[in-house]
Amino acid sequence: MKPKVAIFEFGCCEGCQLQIVNLEERLLDLLEVVDVVTWREARSEHQDGPYDIAFVEGSITREDEIGRLKEIREDSRILVALGACAHLGGVNCLKNFMDQDEVRRYVYGDKAEWFPSIPARPLGAVVKVDYVIPGCPIDKEEFLGVVKQLLLGKEPRLPNYPVCVECKKAGNVCVFEKGLFCLGPITRAGCGARCPSFGARCIGCRGTVDDPNTEAHREVMKEYGLRPEDILNKYRLFWGYLEVAR
Amino acid sequence: MPLKILPKESVPLFVDNLLRDYEVIGPLRKDGFYVFGSVRSFSDMELDYPITIYPAKKFFLPPRESLLRFKTGEKVSVEPVVEEPQPKVLFGLHPCDLHSTWLLDAAFLQETPDASYEARRRHTVFVGLDCLKPCDEYAFCKDMGTLYVNGGYDLFLTDIGDAYAVDIGSKRGEEMLERYADTREPTPSELKRLEAAHKEKEENFSNRLKFDIHNLPAILWNSYDSPYWEELAQKCLGCGSCTLVCSTCYCFDVFDKVELNLQKGERIRVWDSCLLEEFAKVAGGLNFRPSRVERLRHRFFRKGKYLTERFGKVGCVGCGRCTRNCLVHINPIEVYNHIYEEQQKSAA
Repeated sequence: MKPKVAIFEFGCCEGCQLQIVNLEERLLDLLEVVDVVTWREARSEHQDGPYDIAFVEGSITREDEIGRLKEIREDSRILVALGACAHLGGVNCLKNFMDQDEVRRYVYGDKAEWFPSIPARPLGAVVKVDYVIPGCPIDKEEFLGVVKQLLLGKEPRLPNYPVCVECKKAGNVCVFEKGLFCLGPITRAGCGARCPSFGARCIGCRGTVDDPNTEAHREVMKEYGLRPEDILNKYRLFWGYLEVAR
Repeated sequence: MPLKILPKESVPLFVDNLLRDYEVIGPLRKDGFYVFGSVRSFSDMELDYPITIYPAKKFFLPPRESLLRFKTGEKVSVEPVVEEPQPKVLFGLHPCDLHSTWLLDAAFLQETPDASYEARRRHTVFVGLDCLKPCDEYAFCKDMGTLYVNGGYDLFLTDIGDAYAVDIGSKRGEEMLERYADTREPTPSELKRLEAAHKEKEENFSNRLKFDIHNLPAILWNSYDSPYWEELAQKCLGCGSCTLVCSTCYCFDVFDKVELNLQKGERIRVWDSCLLEEFAKVAGGLNFRPSRVERLRHRFFRKGKYLTERFGKVGCVGCGRCTRNCLVHINPIEVYNHIYEEQQKSAA
């Protein structure tokens, strides 16, 4: 029996699901080994639970979503957070540091009262999340890797080392050597140091490693001319729900 | 070994001739820095280079390589992957990088030789280039005893002004020179210039280590419980950059990657680093170096004590790449001097 898979979303751009769609002809290989029974973005049929694996994208930003997520949790043997919003709260948490009424009026205009939104939070703040596929967006290879590990009955594991490791393996000139700053030294790898490899800097979309030395990282950022409030702003882009960016 | 003279104006032709039969790897510019890379012609190369950000080890120990392929299911099969390497010339390696190759060879060719490493290594020709002045503010090669080379190359060039004096280090080097380069015998004045270059080199480098390098293993051992390691670990990002740019680090991780049909897969070897949290994690989840301080201290012990005792040669060649790449400025020379002075003080 192929495992039953469902894919859901909450507050997000659905770009992570788009990465799965982007598997294109390899989607057929995926469908050989799993049965995707619910996936609003890519199929019209829907099947109620129970599910073997639920992939859930997005962060929780409304009261009613809490109940829906809890139902999904109850319906699913394994729940995987898909992407930065589900994993960390993501960029949605930027609003947590603003005036909530103002944000609501800005987004919903004169219908603001119809949308009682709450401070954004990751799935893990509401239910137990079994595994995480980080990133903004996710890496489709990593998604396949997690699927394969689950099919083999193994524990999907994320690298617990920073982006610097992959950046060095890629043979890049360090972003700091170019006089810029980078969140790579404390950000969880797994992306192949994609941003630094293309001349950009790491902005931390995969979250931090398990035990980041953020104090040391702050010191480095200061040395490169950033003020404490600038550093906090950089941390808040993706890590707003984490202690380090409070 | 015999000495030949290679006039500088003949070097481009030498390299371009080599390119007919070899991939030539030399120092190239990248984003204002230097790296070793494949050249298309001599003009891509800059032989008067300070130090490359990365060493040349990736050409025989790539960051990621396949070791074997397997099939599961009814008919199980396992097939080793040993790449048929392209013949390569590593052109312009400084003495420190030649020394580090010796250490990598000691790890991969002694006892149980590694087939992939051995094949790549056998197909690689080494053309060294002497350093006549320090290449970088972070280098401490003289302290590590790697300023001079004694073999470990096929050819070794020393700049004597308008020409290179070429020391022939192997039969292969000699044949290569005959076949691809226009060389001649040295004149007495050129021999004098070579001698002067050596003398000048000696004067240009100074020692930075405050003790005899032979005492390093004992000094490290005595520092095991020093609070200094904790102090350093407070600063250390644990990012592993120092080991990943290191020319002598060779630790790796091995894992299996399966295809989506779960029937086929490959076993992959990737670079690893003792600075990373999972490095010392074993089955059952136990980690025998769970804290950053233990990992950081291990890195120094590995270079200055464990490898030194195992191979009879310090595990560090003093290239300084780790220091250049360390965002929090952890510098082996300063670390070694610090623990030495700490012990001098407590003995007094």
